[in-house]
Amino acid sequence: MSLSVIIAHQLVNGLVLGSFYALVALGYTMIFGVIKLLNFAHGDLYMVGGFVGFLALSAISGVVGSGWGGIFLAMLLSMIGVGCLGVLIERIAYHPMLHAPRLSILITALAVSLVLQNAVLALTGGQYTAFHTDLGFGGIHLGPIFISYNQMVLVATAAGLMVALEFFVTHTQYGRAMRAVAIDHDMCRLMGIDVSAIIGVTFFVGTALAAAAGTMAGAYYGSLWYFMGFLIGLKAFTAAVIGGIGSIPGAMLGGLILGLLESFGTQIPGIGSAWKDVFAFAVLILVLVLKPTGLLGKSEQERM
Amino acid sequence: MKHFTRVLAAGALLAMAGGASAQAQGTLKVGVEVPTTGSEATYGQDMYNAAAIARDEINAHGGVLGKKIQLIVGDDACDPQQAVNAASKLVSQKVVAVVGGYCSGATVPVLKIYGDAHIPFVITAANSTALIPANPGNAFLINSTGDQQAITAVKFFQHKKIKTLAIVNEGDAYSQNLADLMRTAWQKAGGKVVDFETVNKGEQDYSSVVTAIDAKHPDAVFWTAYYADGGLLIRQLRQSGYQGMIAVGDGSNSVKLFDIAGKAAEGVYAFSNPIAQFLPAAKSFIATYKKEYKAEPGPYAPLTYDGMQLLVWAMKKAGTTNAAAVEKALASANGVHWLTGPIAFTKKNTLARSNFVVLEGKNGAWIAAK
Repeated sequence: MSLSVIIAHQLVNGLVLGSFYALVALGYTMIFGVIKLLNFAHGDLYMVGGFVGFLALSAISGVVGSGWGGIFLAMLLSMIGVGCLGVLIERIAYHPMLHAPRLSILITALAVSLVLQNAVLALTGGQYTAFHTDLGFGGIHLGPIFISYNQMVLVATAAGLMVALEFFVTHTQYGRAMRAVAIDHDMCRLMGIDVSAIIGVTFFVGTALAAAAGTMAGAYYGSLWYFMGFLIGLKAFTAAVIGGIGSIPGAMLGGLILGLLESFGTQIPGIGSAWKDVFAFAVLILVLVLKPTGLLGKSEQERM
Repeated sequence: MKHFTRVLAAGALLAMAGGASAQAQGTLKVGVEVPTTGSEATYGQDMYNAAAIARDEINAHGGVLGKKIQLIVGDDACDPQQAVNAASKLVSQKVVAVVGGYCSGATVPVLKIYGDAHIPFVITAANSTALIPANPGNAFLINSTGDQQAITAVKFFQHKKIKTLAIVNEGDAYSQNLADLMRTAWQKAGGKVVDFETVNKGEQDYSSVVTAIDAKHPDAVFWTAYYADGGLLIRQLRQSGYQGMIAVGDGSNSVKLFDIAGKAAEGVYAFSNPIAQFLPAAKSFIATYKKEYKAEPGPYAPLTYDGMQLLVWAMKKAGTTNAAAVEKALASANGVHWLTGPIAFTKKNTLARSNFVVLEGKNGAWIAAK
């Protein structure tokens, strides 16, 4: 395999991985935007999204099959279900804490993360759950480069969700309200915006995106377990910070950059895959030193 | 301290005296140290069942030295502290020998107790290399240690005409150790390690490592860690179009590998401890076990059965239950074999060969590889 082919392959790998990171990072960044909370339970909502998607697919696969059609439907159901769970968590755990010191709500988020992880641990007995689908191994050959259909569908779906989100944020009434709430809660209230409802909508949308990523990851990789949200939660948070936390295009960009960094980090001559995380996180430190607000983060107050 | 040794010496004398009195009653007490409670209880119970089958067979053939064997269970609960209590209890009950030892962590601290009491100890499952330096000389390991898995793997790869190898581990002590042992053994045998990769545990996406492996075109990929992530790696390797051999270490020999990897695990090879269903000599043992206990024998049942048989063989050879004579006979065991193959020991009392068997994935289950 020549170097250029390897680079092309790693580019594809990075895009797929980056799409997952970006979808999860979007939720991080949106929630941070409206209530300035680093929602550490976000990775676990991705995990719950995977399991709900799995249950939904098991329930409907008899009718719609378990190809991409069935997975899309299961993903939609998981987005709605887990989106509602996200709102419920916000109402129960975060809402009463909105005016408490920032540290208290951060610790609440860690607690929610542990509650979700341990609930799924108890329900599954810590066992890996195989996510059976009818996805094949097929794909197309672009010269020496092989791209599977699954990879194409994945990246296209993630891109579709991001375009939809962008439209929602910039062209709908709720999206405009969300951006306004991100700037100033009190002013929004004076303008007649129901801030509390907008926070709920933000949690729903952010969590639904994580659930979509969780379902797709489960179907694509073929297995689920209670701890699968931890590492991706951490990576998505990193992606959000690289892009500039609070910035939606920043989260998309950050996710893709981190995915690509990890893929190429495996390939640096002389150092093996054991060092790929060192490489990726060294870049994170570099970005923060040179541009503390992240690549697309703005230094002024607006953060959406 | 001096007092303590004296007490132990007295205990040893008592143990010998007990042997003498047992002779008078016509029974020989043999201790079985296994976890029968706690997280590993199923394995321990299974080992005890196997020892009981051996006892029944030996007694049906007239016992040993004219006496019947009586088993006494010492429950170590896979816990070092409880293991010490269980061992002291066995010593005070005057057993002439002990078989068992499942958890290495619980087996290391009892070595000294049996050593001080002069009781031969045949270890039938525990196989950490930490047992070797802790052995006062009275313990014999009949299960292979990790370095021997590498020897089995090298032989198998050579047999399959593999020239280049990619080794993937997960960066934890167990899998990294096996990967390093494998790399050394393979290079010593004249093979080439074209790629040596480390992945993160629980990271679902191994595509970048898969691309790196693909680029080196290895004849075989060897995964040294556990089945859950191994299943994902195998799946992604096959998805990317890798067509060479894939082999996995004993941490991945679970049938759950097929659940996660699906069709991709067909034709994957695994190295494993001798499991009854793959041992040609174990047919009647399996039948007896199923009849007695209404279940399949577990992974360490054949080894424990062999441990009992080996012990009795040594006592017969020595013509006495005297510890020194039995230990000498055990050390001289050469080519004696029952279910798991020939048993002979190195100078360090470890099994002189690798007892690892090679399995192949077929239709979602393991079969013995050719």
